Amino acid sequence: MQENKMIQITKDEIVPIALKMRHEGKFLVMIQGYLQTDGQTNISYDYAVDPVIESYYVVGETDLPSIADIYDEAARWPEIELHELLNINFEGLDVSRRLFLPEDMLVTEGKGQILVMPLSELRDNRLEQMREEGIEE
Amino acid sequence: MSYIVPIGPYHPALEEPIHTKLYTEGEVIKDAEVYVGYNHRGIEKLAEEKNVIQTLVLVERVCGICSHSHAFTYALAVEKINQVEVPKRGEYMRVITAELERLHSHLLWAGIACHIIGHDSLFMHIWDVREVIMDMLESLSGNRVNYGMVTIGGARRDVSDDMRREFLANLKACVPIVDRIVEICLNDKTIAMRTQGVGVMKTEDALRLGAVGPHARASNVDIDIRRDSPYSAYADFEFKVPVWPSCDVFARVVVRALECYESVGILIQALENLPEGPINTGGRKLPKIMEGACVTRHEAPRGQLSYKVVGNGSLTNHRVSIHVPSYKNTPTVPFMLRDNTISDAGLIIASIDPCFSCLDR
Repeated sequence: MQENKMIQITKDEIVPIALKMRHEGKFLVMIQGYLQTDGQTNISYDYAVDPVIESYYVVGETDLPSIADIYDEAARWPEIELHELLNINFEGLDVSRRLFLPEDMLVTEGKGQILVMPLSELRDNRLEQMREEGIEE
Repeated sequence: MSYIVPIGPYHPALEEPIHTKLYTEGEVIKDAEVYVGYNHRGIEKLAEEKNVIQTLVLVERVCGICSHSHAFTYALAVEKINQVEVPKRGEYMRVITAELERLHSHLLWAGIACHIIGHDSLFMHIWDVREVIMDMLESLSGNRVNYGMVTIGGARRDVSDDMRREFLANLKACVPIVDRIVEICLNDKTIAMRTQGVGVMKTEDALRLGAVGPHARASNVDIDIRRDSPYSAYADFEFKVPVWPSCDVFARVVVRALECYESVGILIQALENLPEGPINTGGRKLPKIMEGACVTRHEAPRGQLSYKVVGNGSLTNHRVSIHVPSYKNTPTVPFMLRDNTISDAGLIIASIDPCFSCLDR
């Protein structure tokens, strides 16, 4: 049966684990991120070690090393996504290209706020912006 | 002469919005870039203020074709966090819907591929078979698109004995028609000329870029989550995982056609050995999501679908993270486009069975 093993690691262990997994031919399932209830970021690197998914997670870090050199596009897209939605900086990652956000949001305050701000606040900001632009609700 | 040729986001050869920039020299594509995000609806964010039943409805709207896969994977994650045991018959009902969905998705893609190739009569024959599958899904769930078959702790609708016999007869009648379609796909000159040697992605590239599902299997990568990491009732069934070594668009047609047989095989096994008992755990109380996190994977028609659900002990999700097969397969498009002609670009983009509405969520 499918199992999910969670292992907490430090920032320095990310690259050695990625190298080890890549060497063993394991697939990178995904890099996922969210804000914990205490406001700290939680970034987890999920590898498929069949039939188990091993999730290596780091807590409270906003600057992380990029593993896009090791896993190529399979890691680059999730890293750009986390940079756009959760404001995580990956060292050595080219973020000049947008992925999901519209181009005008890359230069405004919208960048990196989508997963950080509560939905109600995002909604209020949007309504305020619409009012300024003279659009009816 | 070198030109930059833009394709999309709105283009007659594409069903969904994607923007591709082709850097060409003459007719040959030298490099390409893919831009997504034209269909971003913020479903992950919206799920943060929904309870489990509302989220099941919401995640089914992520994709129009593999809608059951999303609800299925989300339910697997929540059940694992809450430690809910699903009755055997409920698991079989989920698998039956999932496999019917796979059949319908593969036939839909094969039809569209034939249409792009220019073989419109085969396109109509394929969609004729697909209609039989759609009718079965409709009589099973009452819907043609969002089936609503999943609830936390099981399935929502049961299959009656009459319906079961009817399904078995329908499936057995489908096999000779699929045989004929596979035969045409393998031997037809039009298909061979348009697909063989086009959009090649070598095995090592597929591994490096992390391609998943039928797209990876067409590049000779032997992966299938149903077999490698069994979940729900998949451990009970016998099936093969077809792989094809030629790594081109032709291989993608063949792999998907061969997978149709395996799905029919799983469906027949499931319908013949359907266990007795309840289909869900019952209970009308709205479940809370316990504190904890879980990552689950499901082999959706297009490949590996992964969900991460984080609960904080309240009725709503703390975080739902959805990652779809197209998220892994779309980055491979620029690599496949290189050194092909512009006229094949539409076919190569379509050959990954893209779902950008899934990808953008």
